[in-house]
Amino acid sequence: MRRAWKIYRLLAAQNLKRLMEYKVDFLTGAVSFLIDQAVGIAFIFIIFTQIPQLSGFTFEQIVFIYGFSQIPKGIDHLLTDNLWCVGYFIVRQGGFDKYMTRPINPLFHVIAETFQVDAIGELVVGIALICYSAGSAGLYVTPLSVILTIVAVPFAALIYTSIKIATSAIAFWIKSSGFIIQMVYGMNEFAKYPTTIYSVPVRVFVTFMIPFALTGYYPVVYLLTGENPLLNTGIVVSVSIVFFILSLLIWNRGLSAYESAGA
Amino acid sequence: MNRIGKRYVPFMKAGVQTLIAYRLNFFGFVIGGLIYCIVMFYLWKAVYDSAGGDSFLGFTMTEMVVYLFLANTTTQLTYSTVSGDIGDEIKDGSISMRMIKPVDMDWSYLFTELGAAFMKVVVLLIPVTVGLEIYRYCMLGEVMFRPLNFLLYFLSVILAYIISFRVNLCFGFVAFYVKNLWGFNILKNSIINFLSGSLIPLAFMPDVMRTILEYMPFASMGYTPVMIYMGKYSAYETAFRLGIQIVWAAVMFGISKLIWIGAVKKLSVQGG
Repeated sequence: MRRAWKIYRLLAAQNLKRLMEYKVDFLTGAVSFLIDQAVGIAFIFIIFTQIPQLSGFTFEQIVFIYGFSQIPKGIDHLLTDNLWCVGYFIVRQGGFDKYMTRPINPLFHVIAETFQVDAIGELVVGIALICYSAGSAGLYVTPLSVILTIVAVPFAALIYTSIKIATSAIAFWIKSSGFIIQMVYGMNEFAKYPTTIYSVPVRVFVTFMIPFALTGYYPVVYLLTGENPLLNTGIVVSVSIVFFILSLLIWNRGLSAYESAGA
Repeated sequence: MNRIGKRYVPFMKAGVQTLIAYRLNFFGFVIGGLIYCIVMFYLWKAVYDSAGGDSFLGFTMTEMVVYLFLANTTTQLTYSTVSGDIGDEIKDGSISMRMIKPVDMDWSYLFTELGAAFMKVVVLLIPVTVGLEIYRYCMLGEVMFRPLNFLLYFLSVILAYIISFRVNLCFGFVAFYVKNLWGFNILKNSIINFLSGSLIPLAFMPDVMRTILEYMPFASMGYTPVMIYMGKYSAYETAFRLGIQIVWAAVMFGISKLIWIGAVKKLSVQGG
């Protein structure tokens, strides 16, 4: 464990050096994700100039959900961005041999290698939106509700990570799985809005099949409505653990199926 | 004419072949667009339920669904990857290989993309149009398809594509200054999506903003064709909007040429 932490620090330091080298790069990336989010909010704002409530939620509450959903997404984006590269080209170009031949766990090595600062854009927007809307969203603020919501954040991020691990691992069999990651990851659109606006089959799908609803709406239900504290956070924690274990199983089976692309 | 064909047809074939080789990626993006449309469908449904009336800012729910799917399809059709392609070629220097060939730079890019564009019309536009017309028939009980509107739409899409291609060509030259092309691409796409009305109809925006945006090149890249298809414009207005598209196509053509002349000098500084 201490060795892993040491390796992580060394790799992260390399990343930060690269970052200092390309400051404009970092700004472009962060500003891009920031603008991308701002556009989404502008959209919600325009809708709310016409209606007072959306399915029983006020503007501030919708903004709160939207903002919250960006935080787990941003955390995962910050830490595990290299999985995209595994799916898109590392395996196909034979670059994965590097991870297989080193005395570190390959998954850990892949993840530790990249520290994606573009994600700062998402995190800044998420936190700013929460701060902006928290006061007027009529939240049920108790020590328990705040703690349960905060506890849900890392587990929600783990859902993102698990989905990326499982989909990128498909590349071990079919060489390139970028489009699968793209397709499944794209479903995080569902997390931005209250899950209650969807029809029942869609709701089941985004709660249990590709559980992005658990990264946005469920963790904040208790804060918004004061209902079912343990159930909502409980689903997030248990589903994310199950998905993480499943994704590790898929990854490990993929590793044993991996044969170098022979570049 | 024959000589031109001989020169550029190989580029077009290469475009089709690339799309077929990476068909799964293409498929992934189509599915991604579909997921986005489904989310937005439910969001709009919630909006219409909450708003109460049949019409929201002049759009009925049926019209909104048509707008949503058609705007997304139009964005895909007019989407140009030339900014990324040219950026990559500038970065790795392979653009010099393109420059020494006896072909016009932008025409070779254009023909490569035309191959892909043809495929998109077949696998995307035709199924979506048929699907939407069936949907409209089921919702309204009458056939709403207007062949003339569809033809004008198609003409408008071609103009939109030309503008989009030129705008993206200009963005591609930014690769000289920006290294993070991935981030830059996201920035470009989200700005275009918002300003072109593919995210939210420009008709919904505050009056001043809408008027400004309708005259900018971005509206010509997505909003105009969709509104023509939906029959939202009168005959006079349709002609006027098509005129604006032609003007922008010409302006962007000029700008991209000018930037290219400047960029070539910069390229030699880098040493190719």
